[in-house]
Amino acid sequence: MSTLIEMKNITKDFLQGDEVVHALKETNFIAEEGDLIAIIGPSGSGKSTFLTIIGGLQTPTTGEVLVGGKPFSRLNAKERSKVRFEKVGFILQSANLIPFLKITDQMYLYNRIQRTKPNEERLVGLFEKLGITKLKNKYPSQLSGGERQRVAIAKAIYHNPLVILADEPTAALDTTRAFEVIKLLAKETKAEKKATIMVTHDERLTEYCDKVYQIVDGVMTRKK
Amino acid sequence: MFLAWKEIKHAKGKFSLIISVVVLVGYLVYFLTSLAYGLASSYTNGVYAWNADNIVLTSDSNDNIMMSVMTDEQYDDVDATEKARLGLFPAVISDPSAAVVDDTKEEIYAFGIDNGSFIAPSLALNDNEVVADSSLKELGYDLGTVIRVAGTDIDWTIIGFEESRTYQTAPILYMNIATWMDYRFNRATIPLDLFSAVVTQGETLTANTDLKIYDIQDFVSNLPGYSAQVLTFSIMIGFLIFIIAFVLGIFIFVLTIQKTSMFGVMKAQGISNAYIGGSVVMQTLIITGIGVFGGLLLTLVSGYFLAGIVPFAINPLFYAVITAAFFVFSAFGGLFSVRAVLKIDPRIAIG
Repeated sequence: MSTLIEMKNITKDFLQGDEVVHALKETNFIAEEGDLIAIIGPSGSGKSTFLTIIGGLQTPTTGEVLVGGKPFSRLNAKERSKVRFEKVGFILQSANLIPFLKITDQMYLYNRIQRTKPNEERLVGLFEKLGITKLKNKYPSQLSGGERQRVAIAKAIYHNPLVILADEPTAALDTTRAFEVIKLLAKETKAEKKATIMVTHDERLTEYCDKVYQIVDGVMTRKK
Repeated sequence: MFLAWKEIKHAKGKFSLIISVVVLVGYLVYFLTSLAYGLASSYTNGVYAWNADNIVLTSDSNDNIMMSVMTDEQYDDVDATEKARLGLFPAVISDPSAAVVDDTKEEIYAFGIDNGSFIAPSLALNDNEVVADSSLKELGYDLGTVIRVAGTDIDWTIIGFEESRTYQTAPILYMNIATWMDYRFNRATIPLDLFSAVVTQGETLTANTDLKIYDIQDFVSNLPGYSAQVLTFSIMIGFLIFIIAFVLGIFIFVLTIQKTSMFGVMKAQGISNAYIGGSVVMQTLIITGIGVFGGLLLTLVSGYFLAGIVPFAINPLFYAVITAAFFVFSAFGGLFSVRAVLKIDPRIAIG
């Protein structure tokens, strides 16, 4: 199996007043094709720091992130943004979706920006698999929380990224809906040959994950 | 364009309020421009109708054509490709045959000209015949009307009308120099021809130090009240454009700030600053475009209905310049918001 995203000897320190905070201590991490990986830990443990560094939203103090074997964290902000746009899909707690775009347009926005042709076949297939076909002409405000997250999955996958980064994707959902969404996410990760890295505080979700890491006080350890 | 337009369509209520402000200010600006141009034209129509390059007055007149008195000797001293004698003096006229004579009282400018000169109307004028500005028709004057000149026992007969012949906002009456002199100086007592100025085309020279050559543009600028009025209107219009750009800039800025979290998510997803900022500017321009178009439409409609009542005149060039200024300034206003977009940290999308 090929490695899609990799962290090599990453650390992250920042100053809080006069004090140096070691938000992330030396971390090595790989995600391979088909992996659904959960990162768990209490709040303030370094989960968000981990996710922002692996997603290129900030740079590590030392070490390097590689996406598809190519340098990522070393690039400048604009280049990182471009790599993120093409190779990474995001699923966030909420506010994933642009309120004034219909569900179909949410997907096609990618093509608009890339100046490529909309891939209707892919969109129909994805919507079918995620059970959101009947929502395609609705606005995000007309959807339930669970529907919104399924659309968010479709949006994260539509443009065929290597990696999907999910930040508490089930935070706004009840247990039944949360399990549904995670099952779909696990299924699509395998079917689409992506790697999904999901930060969550909900340990019940880990039963659907291939690997589980825990971060406590900036130290990451493998749990499963 | 895509995002900008989709958002406007989705939040119609919010955006129609913003657009209506732009429409109203646009309306005001275009309407003021038309009025200003109309008013300025009514000062100068009669002058620009000459297609002249220069006008020669006496040095003693101190720019004031009413105070300038010239003789044929001085006329001969002026050297130009084309030259024409001009007498110019105000008068009050009325139509003694009208039912209510007072309603026909009007201030006019008597222009004395030589038949066949380049500043003459197309009809040849015999003594005591005049060609009048067509606005006099609205007061009841018609072909053949015999005009009484107030304070005299002079009568003039209208033999023709010409469109848009006004000077200092008053209608012009063209007459031959002899008729003009009768009114101005009482010709019987003066053996030689006197008149106000020489109007010329082509390069104009004179060796006579009693004469002074004015560029037609300078002559117009020196008309009493003309420059002050044009400047006042220009400043008002300029400020209005600036204010609406500023107001629109603030509206867009507030909308941008409201969308900070959405833009944060978009930036996290790797959508570039250029695209997001471009959308913001595009949205500003769309609002400006719709607003300006609406304002222009209202102006043209009002102009159609008010044409006879106010000095409303359309100048496509001014409209084009003002429209361009609207777009340029509002794009600048949109740049505040682009700066706000640049400052959004995509990390806000996470955690």
